[in-house]
Amino acid sequence: MRLLIRLLCLAVVIGTLGGCGFKDIDKRFFVVGTGIDWSGNKDKPYRITLQLAIPSPKVESGASKTQYEIIDAPSIAEGIRMLKSYVDKELDFGHCKMFLIGHTLADKDIRPVIDWMSRRRDIQSVANLAVGEPDAETVLKVRATSELYPGNALYLTFGSDGTESSYTYVETLSGLNRRLAEKGLDPALAFIRNDNRTSYIVNQIALMDKQKIKMMLSPTETQLFNQLSKHFTKASMHGMFKGTPIVIAINSLQSSFRIKQEQDETIIVMRIRMKVVFEEAPSGVYNASWEAFENELSRDYEKVSMALLEKIRRAGIDPFGFGLRYRAMHNGQGSWEQWQELYPQARFQVHAHVKVEGTGLIK
Amino acid sequence: MNRYFFYNFACVSFMNLMLFVPYVLIQHRYDGTVMSLVIAPVVGTVLLYMYTSAMSRFPGMGMPDIFRERYPRWFSSMIIGGFAIMWWLSSVFVIVAYAILINRFFNPDANTFVILFMLLLACGYAATRSSLTVMFVLEILLLLNAPFILFILVKMLTDTQFNWDAVHVAANYVVNMPNLSALAAATYIFTGYISMSLYNRLMPPNFQYKYRYIYPVFGFAVLLATFFIPIGLHGTEAVGQYVYIWSVTADSLIMQYGFIERLLFLFLIVFLNLTLVFTMTAWHQAMEFVKSCLPGGKPEVDNHRIPVSNYVIIAVFIVFTLAYMFLVNEKENVRYASYWLILRLFVEILLVVWIFVLSRRRMDRT
Repeated sequence: MRLLIRLLCLAVVIGTLGGCGFKDIDKRFFVVGTGIDWSGNKDKPYRITLQLAIPSPKVESGASKTQYEIIDAPSIAEGIRMLKSYVDKELDFGHCKMFLIGHTLADKDIRPVIDWMSRRRDIQSVANLAVGEPDAETVLKVRATSELYPGNALYLTFGSDGTESSYTYVETLSGLNRRLAEKGLDPALAFIRNDNRTSYIVNQIALMDKQKIKMMLSPTETQLFNQLSKHFTKASMHGMFKGTPIVIAINSLQSSFRIKQEQDETIIVMRIRMKVVFEEAPSGVYNASWEAFENELSRDYEKVSMALLEKIRRAGIDPFGFGLRYRAMHNGQGSWEQWQELYPQARFQVHAHVKVEGTGLIK
Repeated sequence: MNRYFFYNFACVSFMNLMLFVPYVLIQHRYDGTVMSLVIAPVVGTVLLYMYTSAMSRFPGMGMPDIFRERYPRWFSSMIIGGFAIMWWLSSVFVIVAYAILINRFFNPDANTFVILFMLLLACGYAATRSSLTVMFVLEILLLLNAPFILFILVKMLTDTQFNWDAVHVAANYVVNMPNLSALAAATYIFTGYISMSLYNRLMPPNFQYKYRYIYPVFGFAVLLATFFIPIGLHGTEAVGQYVYIWSVTADSLIMQYGFIERLLFLFLIVFLNLTLVFTMTAWHQAMEFVKSCLPGGKPEVDNHRIPVSNYVIIAVFIVFTLAYMFLVNEKENVRYASYWLILRLFVEILLVVWIFVLSRRRMDRT
């Protein structure tokens, strides 16, 4: 009797195995990059570019093989379904870490794209997003000569495994989703250009409102933005001291802000402390008084950050989360509406404290 | 033996970290959840103290034994049968939701019924064992999974994306009146003590419940985590969009140098274990309740030969669970679960007060 029951259980387990929908790895196409562009055609507005990895026995630079599939479709999900009939294997987004949105589409509306991505269960919430210039297709088609595995050049640029650049702004799907919905915290995306056929430049940020791009930051502003928003703090900075150019490397940087209300004025006070060493400096700097340098650098820093903050505010966006902080500090339902009135008139104050730690290896 | 009480408590708390409790709490984040979070530990602690002190006056007796001692057979059977259904339902919602979750995240092509049936077979088999075995299984599985749960929680709290401003914004809504549905969900975290309804049979004579102050603290910490961690990681607005909020929260973190990069899979496996353990103990209790309504001798806690009635009752449970799955869809399951949470709050208060009164009478008599 007991044996019979056990055998029966085993039979049931084995019998249901056939019901599994598992597909072997060699029957799958791993998507390593997805680009979504605006096609310009009203009926089929989305141009979807998929970069598919082709397994290759060789692991060496430039040996990665990819296949591209491009389609214009009335919606993204339909396009993907249609693309399945173009290829012989099952499409799998489970390893796709890079999603590019074309510049023209990002100028119109990115919400349908994000909505589609968040609904799919196999797209990771930690996938990186960026805006491609002039369009996602061109950027995806760059064949980086340094690439080891299909699609890994772009991924390394954004992950913290490979290059750590102070110009790269990394945004994940769940992070972007949060910023798209949150009152008082606006989204931003990195901006990728291809300079020629073999590499990328990622040194700009597109600041957005809840729907589309509002303004672009220049590379210098991008670096400053990354520092102020605590996204990436290891960076370098230029300054002038009595006519001689100096370059300093920032070892550590802490920034914080608070919102003060004095009489009928709202002041956003931003405090930045940084520890720096000289990278390029006039000789003899070791014996000179560092305090003068520190003051000069602090004032410079205050001036440029103030200009950036003002510029971002004029565009009517808030990627730093000032509004969220105001909502956190002020109770009640009306605080968000209050903030929307206060923000355009708010005044900025930046206090920077630069501390020189050394002059490098030479005096 | 106090640790077995703790395991029961921790199992229910951890289980509810992920499914309906956070969903309900976050749904009501602007209208009363935060106040409910403040009130729930008070309610939970009072009930816990009442129930444990009442139960310690009935050494070696479970809730069914107490009722049967006092009331006529037809009456006690009816009451105990009602409780058995409540216990059975508690795990039905969870395991059905988990079967759907597996279907969504692991394998969308597989049949949900097949997945559910597999899960039910595993839980059902474990639930038919003796009470003592079930307790040991609970201990082992909880000890194996607890480090991973702590790892996930710490990882989430220390992540750079965690935004304390958003937590602060949500906490500001503390002034709003508590909401019944959120309160019911929040008190569920503290419900683990109710397992003593059955497992009190295992406790030796002269057993004292010690360190009872741990439970409110532990429960409150879990409660704060279940509500505020998703808000810290998704913000106050986006958090309301997600259906499986904790799964998505786990997915938004990355284990850079883990074997598997996506934290989601670690999370799903840990909570699969918890779901199975939870269903096992809930069904075991429901099964013992049903058995105590049937004619028979004194209940055994460590029987070597499993009575056939165990298999029959569990088989009935499995059939009804599959039928439930057939009748409801994903959305209805969540809705019924939140109704059930409210019903449970009242049934639980009724049970605790009832047993408490009976225990006082018993003291007066002796």
